[in-house]
Amino acid sequence: MKTKVVLNFSPEAANTPITHNLIAKHHLLVNILRAEIDEIGGKMVLELSGKADDIRKGIDYLKSNGVGVRPIKEGVRRDEDICTHCGMCVSICPTKALAFDSKTGKVTFTEEKCVACGVCIDACPPRAMEILI
Amino acid sequence: MSKSYDEIRKKTMNGDVVVMTAQEFKEYVKANGVKKAAKDVDIVTTGTFGAMCSSGAYFNFGHSDPPIKMQKVWMDGIPAYAGLAAVDAYLGATELDDTNNMMHGGAHVIEDLVRGKAVRLKATAYGTDCYPKKEIDTYVSLKTVNQAVLLNVRNCYQNYAVATNSGSRTLYTYMGKLLPEYGNATYSSAGELSPLLNDPYYRSIGIGTRIFLGGAQGFVIWEGTQFNPGVPRTPAGVPKRAAGSIAVIGDLKQMSSEFLRGLTFTRYGTSLGLGIGIPIPILDEEMARACAITDDQIVTAMFDYSQPARSRTVLKEITYAELRSGEIELKGKHIPTSSLSSLYKARQISQILKSQIQKGEFMMERPVQSLPMDRVFKALDVRTEKEAM
Repeated sequence: MKTKVVLNFSPEAANTPITHNLIAKHHLLVNILRAEIDEIGGKMVLELSGKADDIRKGIDYLKSNGVGVRPIKEGVRRDEDICTHCGMCVSICPTKALAFDSKTGKVTFTEEKCVACGVCIDACPPRAMEILI
Repeated sequence: MSKSYDEIRKKTMNGDVVVMTAQEFKEYVKANGVKKAAKDVDIVTTGTFGAMCSSGAYFNFGHSDPPIKMQKVWMDGIPAYAGLAAVDAYLGATELDDTNNMMHGGAHVIEDLVRGKAVRLKATAYGTDCYPKKEIDTYVSLKTVNQAVLLNVRNCYQNYAVATNSGSRTLYTYMGKLLPEYGNATYSSAGELSPLLNDPYYRSIGIGTRIFLGGAQGFVIWEGTQFNPGVPRTPAGVPKRAAGSIAVIGDLKQMSSEFLRGLTFTRYGTSLGLGIGIPIPILDEEMARACAITDDQIVTAMFDYSQPARSRTVLKEITYAELRSGEIELKGKHIPTSSLSSLYKARQISQILKSQIQKGEFMMERPVQSLPMDRVFKALDVRTEKEAM
């Protein structure tokens, strides 16, 4: 299974090789979607893949090391009322989560493909894209 | 066989006018040929929705007691031009507050008003015998002001450039976010649905043409600024570069946020996302042929926006069909494309306009004067007083 989590690092936790341990000790595949972290702490958005039991143990490991863990269902959200379907986001989206549907003329957003990189946020002229961190 | 404006208007009044959207008309011509299409169809509706920077609105706020001759005016912190009579002001779409906050500029204030919101109005003055008051701080909305009129000096460009970036850093431009090393390319036209591309020589679009403007009805009032009909054209007469444009006017109080939006172009500024639709009368076969044009026959030019010059070199000429495919090829590299103009809304506008004409709610007008074909687009050079004369 896969899950996305937001991690809050305290200064102590920021200096522990946490990502390495998640991979090596808890057998998880870790995809770093976003990281804003330095020696005084910060935030990270990870996509964890592995067995359900390993993910649970991995999250317990994080918590026991003083890392705040908050699961998220999605990293980027689109406000459907604000989107004008211009398509500015389409050519900059690295995973094609945002794509143009020539039949409807609309821009489609496939959340499963989104890696929450955030490149669309400041590219959207009517500001319809929001990153949930 | 040809039709007159009067005949088409009469049919509209009688409710038996034949209207097609530009999209439908192109299909119809493909299936039935130009001759039959010219005979069968009276009006083709076009549409576009895109960033139209040279836009703004003027207001008359009404008089305070005691009265004030407003010298400086701010609407939600955005300066409006008040060098007019006492309580008139013009708010430009690209105007920013004194912190250059690009998330909320003049265009956003105009959108807020259209959404029915109240906007903080501040004004200062030096005070005169007839206008003694020196400052005012209040709220206004579209309900409280006398006039609120959208008046745009350049909208609805007939064709526009494609932007890309050969440089090593991301560029933030009015053509959007341009990724380095030709990472993407952006364009901004509704292509085959765009009003002026369906009337390349402005036969029916002129001063006095009634248009769909931001959800309301408005008019073409003049050529747009930078009107430049003399650019290179295809054999069919369609301009291959930014050519014509129109100045338009309409009642802001009747407009809808569905077709009027404040836009932010990061590190560039604000702009107004605006929907315009124009009906084109199929007076004869020549008009039908012009309206039959499709994206594969409309050409534009790609420019490198990392070149910081007035006249950039053309990298490549390209059709809208290629741009719409999502990827274009340049020097062996595949470049993903983005439109800045909403095809979805352009289609929606042409559909709404069609239904309004069919219901007799929108009357097509014959222009009272044609747009000038002899305009040239001049540059601004640093010159002496004598050289300018």
